[in-house]
Amino acid sequence: MAITYDLVKEVTADLYNWSLRRIPESSKAKLREAVATETVPHARETLALMLASAETAETTGRFLCSDAGVPSYTIKIGSRVRMEGDIRQAIVDGFEHLVETIQPPIMRFVTHPLTNERSFKGKDMPLVSYDLLGDVDYMDITCAPKALGGGRWAAIETLVSPSLEDIERCILEMVMRAGGQHCPPVVIGVGIGGTFDHAAKLSKDATLRPFGTRHPDPMVADMEERLTRAVNQTGFGPMGCGGTTTTFGVHIDYASGHGFTPIAVSFNCWINRRTRAKIYNSGVVERIE
Amino acid sequence: MNTSSLRRLHLPLTPDEARTLKAGDLVLLEGEAVATVGMPTQKRMVAEVEAGREMPLPMRGGAFFHMGVCYDEENGRPTRMHYVNPTTSSRFNALMPTLIRGLGLTALGGKGGLSRESVEAMREVGCIYFSFVGGASALLSQGVEKVVDVAWTDLIMQFRLNQIRLSGFGPVTVAIDAHGESIYERIMVSAQARLPDILETLRRPSQS
Repeated sequence: MAITYDLVKEVTADLYNWSLRRIPESSKAKLREAVATETVPHARETLALMLASAETAETTGRFLCSDAGVPSYTIKIGSRVRMEGDIRQAIVDGFEHLVETIQPPIMRFVTHPLTNERSFKGKDMPLVSYDLLGDVDYMDITCAPKALGGGRWAAIETLVSPSLEDIERCILEMVMRAGGQHCPPVVIGVGIGGTFDHAAKLSKDATLRPFGTRHPDPMVADMEERLTRAVNQTGFGPMGCGGTTTTFGVHIDYASGHGFTPIAVSFNCWINRRTRAKIYNSGVVERIE
Repeated sequence: MNTSSLRRLHLPLTPDEARTLKAGDLVLLEGEAVATVGMPTQKRMVAEVEAGREMPLPMRGGAFFHMGVCYDEENGRPTRMHYVNPTTSSRFNALMPTLIRGLGLTALGGKGGLSRESVEAMREVGCIYFSFVGGASALLSQGVEKVVDVAWTDLIMQFRLNQIRLSGFGPVTVAIDAHGESIYERIMVSAQARLPDILETLRRPSQS
């Protein structure tokens, strides 16, 4: 048995379709929690409206947002996985089929960066990153479409032999630059160290972690807690209209590097679109999120 | 949320009506507005205003939203409305003062707000800015009755000028009023003032 072109085409398209209509469970739990803990009345009402809208989208199958984003996948491949057919093409074809059949229709967001021309296709679309997993017989696929509101505030800065304090100040400066523009409460992903590209990847992957999970390294887990509190003290609040709930969590990861230390910060808006499934060699599909 | 007690505004507003609202008010919207998310659209609008030409849809003294609209169409005419949702207004900061003054706009909407130059233009003209909750398309779309008319159909759907009819749209927040008060500006100033204290607190080890 092997993971086939047809199966990957179907699953990647389904993951994108589902992500447009349902927020992750841990985001829903955070929204419920925030409706109870937010201290600014107007912000509480905004959070309640968000929760009600997410629930409406889930029960009626409506879209969460009119901006369907661009399709973006993270695929981790077990070293015992067997593949049949052109898996990369399967993802391209799956998106093309989805665009032709999805109801309600999605609009054109795939943009040529040099001409601003928009369509449903483009170079490197869908955006996919591939990683290797250990000795397992499945492919772990996460779909997290990226839209303009959250995507445009990502930033990276490279410091030389910074102290922990320097790093944390740098992160907060990037948070200040984004302000309340990215449809908060956001998830904030931080990647520290490695190289420029590696830090960016760590940051993106950190945004994909469900809320409520802690980094296994106590020093990093402690940074996450302190920075989450710090970001919520800025007061930007839901939709940037004021409040104590600006982020549902700062998620950090790091890699060893040289003395130059890239610090990458990226954001996902409150709907935090993300779906995930595992496909096994046997053809079994296990939906995780 | 019980929205029955909220004030209902009928768009378009007169400048005097716009001036009765203050930043922080929560309201529901009725009436008509023109919506787009297009940068090329708004550049074309600026060019039209500067050339002294009228817009292809009734926009003078009207409501103009930074909002995407998706609908079915037949022979270039809108039929069934599918959904709407706001986009970030601040990326159009450079264009908005000309549009606010040139068209005498009395209401704007979107998310993220606008810069001081726009806030000043709004104060002059008698115009307010509504914050729509991004990502709340499922609820907001229920407040749009239909797409009444479209213009500039050479552009992709969400970039066109899409005239929509609203019925109980919201709730939405008056985030910038016609008296120069901007919630966004107030919050940014306050966040910057808090930053030294926040950095100081950050250095203390976590209690948990």
